[in-house]
Amino acid sequence: MTSGRAAVGGAKMAEERLATRRTPLPSAKSQKPWLKKAAEFPILEKQNWLIHLHYIRKDYEACKAVIKEQLQETQGLCEYAIYVQALIFRLEGNIQESLELFQRCAILNPQCADNLKQVARSLFLLGKHKAASEVYTEAAKLDQKDWEICHNLGICYIYMKQFSKAQDQLHQALQLNRHVLTYIMLGKIHLLAGDLDKAIKVYKTAVEFSPENTELLTTLGLLYLQLGIHKKAFEHLGNALTYDPTNYKAILAAGSMMQTHGDFDVALTKYRVVACAVPESPPLWNNIGLCFFGKKKYVAAISCLKRANYLAPFDWKILYNLGLVHLTMQQYASAFHFLSAAITFQPKMGELYMLLAVTLTNLEDVENAKRVYAAAVRLDKCNPLVNLNYAILLYMQGERGAALAQCQEMEEKVRLLRDNSSLEFDSEMVEMAQKLRAALQVGEALVWTKQVEDPKSKHQTPSTSKAASFQQSLGSNQALGQAMSSAATHRKLPSDPAQGDSPGSQASGLGAKVCSRLTGIPGGYLLLISASNAVLCLA
Amino acid sequence: MAAASSSDSDSCTAESEASSKWLDAHYDPVANIHTFSACMALADLHGDGEYKLVVGDLGPGGRQSHLKVLKGYSVLSDSPLPALPAAAATFLMDQHNPGTPVLALALGPCVYVYKNLTPYFKFSLPQLPLNTLEQDLWNQAKEDRIDPLTLKEMLESIREKAEVPLSVQSLRFLQLELSEMEAFVNQHKSKGIKRQTVITTMTTLKKNLADKDAVSCLVVGTENKELLVLDPEAFVILATMSLPSVPVFLEVSGQFNIEFRLAAACRNGNIYILRRDSKSPKYCIELNAQPVGLVRVHEVLVVGSTQDSLHGFTHKGKRLWTVQMPAAILTMNLLEQPSRGLQAVMAGLANREVRIYHNKALLNVIRTPDAVTSLCFGRYGHEDNTLIMTMRGGGLMIKILKRTAVFVEGVGEVGPPSAQGTRLNVPRKTRLYVDQTLREREAGTAMHRTFQTDLYLLRLRAARAYVQALESSLSPVSATAREPLKLHAVVQGLGPTFKLTLHLQNTSAARPILGLLVCFLYNEVLYALPRAFFKVPLLVPGLSYPLETFVESLSDKGSSDMIKVLVLREGQSAPLLSAHINMPVSEGLVTA
Repeated sequence: MTSGRAAVGGAKMAEERLATRRTPLPSAKSQKPWLKKAAEFPILEKQNWLIHLHYIRKDYEACKAVIKEQLQETQGLCEYAIYVQALIFRLEGNIQESLELFQRCAILNPQCADNLKQVARSLFLLGKHKAASEVYTEAAKLDQKDWEICHNLGICYIYMKQFSKAQDQLHQALQLNRHVLTYIMLGKIHLLAGDLDKAIKVYKTAVEFSPENTELLTTLGLLYLQLGIHKKAFEHLGNALTYDPTNYKAILAAGSMMQTHGDFDVALTKYRVVACAVPESPPLWNNIGLCFFGKKKYVAAISCLKRANYLAPFDWKILYNLGLVHLTMQQYASAFHFLSAAITFQPKMGELYMLLAVTLTNLEDVENAKRVYAAAVRLDKCNPLVNLNYAILLYMQGERGAALAQCQEMEEKVRLLRDNSSLEFDSEMVEMAQKLRAALQVGEALVWTKQVEDPKSKHQTPSTSKAASFQQSLGSNQALGQAMSSAATHRKLPSDPAQGDSPGSQASGLGAKVCSRLTGIPGGYLLLISASNAVLCLA
Repeated sequence: MAAASSSDSDSCTAESEASSKWLDAHYDPVANIHTFSACMALADLHGDGEYKLVVGDLGPGGRQSHLKVLKGYSVLSDSPLPALPAAAATFLMDQHNPGTPVLALALGPCVYVYKNLTPYFKFSLPQLPLNTLEQDLWNQAKEDRIDPLTLKEMLESIREKAEVPLSVQSLRFLQLELSEMEAFVNQHKSKGIKRQTVITTMTTLKKNLADKDAVSCLVVGTENKELLVLDPEAFVILATMSLPSVPVFLEVSGQFNIEFRLAAACRNGNIYILRRDSKSPKYCIELNAQPVGLVRVHEVLVVGSTQDSLHGFTHKGKRLWTVQMPAAILTMNLLEQPSRGLQAVMAGLANREVRIYHNKALLNVIRTPDAVTSLCFGRYGHEDNTLIMTMRGGGLMIKILKRTAVFVEGVGEVGPPSAQGTRLNVPRKTRLYVDQTLREREAGTAMHRTFQTDLYLLRLRAARAYVQALESSLSPVSATAREPLKLHAVVQGLGPTFKLTLHLQNTSAARPILGLLVCFLYNEVLYALPRAFFKVPLLVPGLSYPLETFVESLSDKGSSDMIKVLVLREGQSAPLLSAHINMPVSEGLVTA
């Protein structure tokens, strides 16, 4: 019977045997010897194919039933049944049980690298990275050409903070077989080490290898954004959005770029998609709030920012923006609270202190304002506004000498900025500074005029040392908070509600009455999900 | 067949009956067919021009397996099978008898061949080579030249090192207890050992000609990681190819004697591509997930993965595209409409949809009342384009593609996502808010000043209270360097007798504390304590000492008072720490 492998002419031979009955098919006669054999020693792998088919269909209940039957029949010898049972355990979160079963598989078949790989994977998921790496090394001895072993070993090393070893393993994995996942991890190692250029290089090769991977495109876009290369950033983010128009990270990043260029309506339309997908995202509501701020819809801006603050109460950028909007709305008492909260979380930023000082000035607390200005000047390294505002306050208080000193410091900063980047200064700020100079009776400033004559250069963020995960637009100051240092103008304020919208014209209207107001508070902070935030989200 | 469709069309699809490309021919939710796409085949088995559906049915729960042959809506024949069918295929066996294909069913280690639906031939896979050492050992055992214990040791060493795995008999033997070994050897020594493998998948490959009615070979994938090509007439193995893993799905193109390409999706998540002259894989596609289906559309290999996506690959393994599915893919098959030259992929999803894709483009979505677990498209009965689906619950659904229906690309989502049209849910602000804003503008400075003054006052009061607490050691935690202590008091009971438990803990790292006293201060009119003053035992660091005392409430007016607990150091009048315990009202007296 077993010699059914009949050679030539076997067809006829077989006919004799089987063709005696029509249906039911493989007749009872032919069935018997087969059954007898089965009763003695069933083939261990008899139903492996069925287990596998159920498993890949994610029909785990059926799968478990077959596994149970199979294990009973073979008295626990069927390696594949145990293997799949362990896989299911792992999917169900019983990692310890899965580990034990995989170890049993490894005992049943010690020559198989796959069993060891799974043991290591379970150890990895249990957080035992060192043990996992040891088992992976063991597996690598059995199978030298498996990229997965190298890749996972690399990830274990990342968790063990051995970055150079991790890099070696990941490079080896890439040599064996190129996978997007390996590129992503390699890029993350470079990001962890703070090496943006290398990370960009890795992601660039990865994008060439897999041009439709939205995660790669988005990450690369964000990295370019961090470096201030806006054109390339926009290109990659745009590509990501073409392949996946609902990509949260890409929309947020692209939207914030549009916002910096003043396309508030387009940005808002884009944000709608995110608002549906991730309605509880603090960066999203922050950016929406700033869109409304840019469109001068202040109440809506405050609503959105407050929601963002509710969702992320410890984010100082949101608090900063709230402070800024309240300042613009002349709600100084509220602005004070938001700004001081922001300072509690971020005590090392000059601009925050400056805003607080402006608020205090408006709250007629000159003493404290001066103190806060002093702190701001001490912390800030590159923003001439801080000095300008301080100088104006000092001048108003009649401290001409100190005002002059601040004025000179401001010029120093302006010179530095102008040399380092093609930044365009806010015209209003320039005007104000010139008025102050006139009042202080210093010679005509050359610093600004040169700058004004400059051809219209593109707005660019200053290349400060600050982490570029947020956008700082010094010159392109669409949203101007305003600060009053003159008591005279202050008294006028409530009667003129339009003031908040056009501080510039007001200032010029005052004419001879030396620069009574200061402007030029930096625009709000846009939030992105920065590339570095996403570090270490492993598969 | 189409005419009869209206009578039992299902309500769930009735909504778009007119616009649908499909006619509902038949739906039987209790057809009791549980199978995989690989076990379904459409063929003109009797050569009478009427195509039948052959289903290798696994039965509910994978028990009683049957071979079912369906004609129209009815089951033509239903016969039990000795094992679960892994795959079914129909093919032409010899040129002399054109037009009547035979049916091959893969069951365990055998292929059963049926002609005219009668059993015709059974092919068993050859025995696998045995480990020579193992064979020697059993031969020795047969002649009683080896005792069971040595046998076990020898077998164990073979299992760990040898390339060729052991037979089931040896593996079983190794599992036994010492006492059972003797009997086992005696029972089984006379029989030779065997190693047998199982068929996991099967497909057909044209032998010489590409014609529709040309003779085909069978290609069989086995559990021991091999692919075998069988001659259709003599049933000899024409070629053997080995794979690095166990094949699950096969896809073949070309002719055996000329040139062919074989793609095998394997259990390790890889797809291997082999060619005629290669004994081992030429290209390898690593999926990072398990493949759930493999279909060749023209020259593109379409693979569904467990990560809910469809991937397109060239025959050299280069990835062309990826499409994300809304749910897990359960099964896949080819949709071929020769009259329009269309080839597309059908994928049955867990969200009760069947999606039809041509490359990346979605052509059509069919919604079904249950999740579709197997799919088959082709000529059934006399109708050319019939789609046969079986459901998870055992249902059977037959749909016919309308003759006027043309699949157009771009049915799916194009343009901006729909979410872009919805309005942003910006929180509204009330009138009150606006009024308050105006008020703040007018009186901001005053508000700020009042707030600051109050804040300072609050801070001042807090500081004062704190200082006072420190001075009079009112706090329940003493932080002095010599006696770091923690006190915590609990009152239990309803009254008039309460139990007062003080938990005293020495919080220092290593030093025990000796010579402490506890003193209670209370109103003697209201309360009586057995001891108002007692010594504390030595306090070992870290442990919490419960010190219990009873408090009797003397008042019958339901009044209660505060009891002060002072912890003192011997010889010092200032307490180290103190606690004020607000005694509850004695309920025993109130009710009495």
